[in-house]
Amino acid sequence: MSFPLGPNGAFSANIGLLLAFFIGVGFGFFLEKAGFSSARKLTAQFYFRDFAVLKVMFTAIVVAGLGFWLLVGLGALDLSLTYINPTFLLPQIIGGLILGIGFVIGGY
Amino acid sequence: MRESKPKPYWSPYLAGLGLGLVLLLSYVILGEGLGASGAFARLEYTVLHAIFPKHVESSPYMSEYFAGVASPLADSMIFTVIGVFVGGFISGLAAGRFKKAVDKGPRISQGGRFAFAFIGGTLMGAGARIARGCTSGQALSGGATLALGSWAFMFAVFGGGYAAAYFIRRQWL
Repeated sequence: MSFPLGPNGAFSANIGLLLAFFIGVGFGFFLEKAGFSSARKLTAQFYFRDFAVLKVMFTAIVVAGLGFWLLVGLGALDLSLTYINPTFLLPQIIGGLILGIGFVIGGY
Repeated sequence: MRESKPKPYWSPYLAGLGLGLVLLLSYVILGEGLGASGAFARLEYTVLHAIFPKHVESSPYMSEYFAGVASPLADSMIFTVIGVFVGGFISGLAAGRFKKAVDKGPRISQGGRFAFAFIGGTLMGAGARIARGCTSGQALSGGATLALGSWAFMFAVFGGGYAAAYFIRRQWL
């Protein structure tokens, strides 16, 4: 198998959009199951009352990260066809600070 | 809707496992991670372009979204976000959590909560554009692929959140 499927031409752009929709359904489903539809639950981490957000986030990062780098290591996933966030340290730190402040004010 | 006690949320580790697998699937199938804020940016630029085409086309940043494509809306992120609404709706409905409510602490009015939500949303939108991504596109996706800048972003988000939390504690506690 040669991953990623889309950039390798396994399906058309329109099928890609449909698949993106179903990936979104899964994303929304697990976010809701985690309790991320509640602003109070999301912001509770900032008052040291509920660390579900951190647990969910880091579990997801570890699971996806292990799978991702395992597939890359096995040669099944082509890194050159995969979008990896480019590094712009200063904008990412400033944007992150603003987003974090907005997060606790807005709740999501 | 029948009045019944909603089911509890899942264990954060189980929900995190599911979320991680969806994220992995996104990379394996689409070759990109999950994103959310980009969809709203695309929608905004599309609307703005319909009203002020010259302004959008003269912006080096916004015009990029229109280059070589039929519409900025024909993008996986737009469809992912539509899917998120559907998935969240299914999960909430199945768990008996579907109801109309304003989620807030007991010490703030509904209007106050809405005002804060608007201010916070504006800041998040601006922050996400400066950083080129939000909690999904930077922290989750960049975190899993070990993108250095995304990890810096993640710590900055928590730094900003914890620093500001004290000042608006009345909204939540």
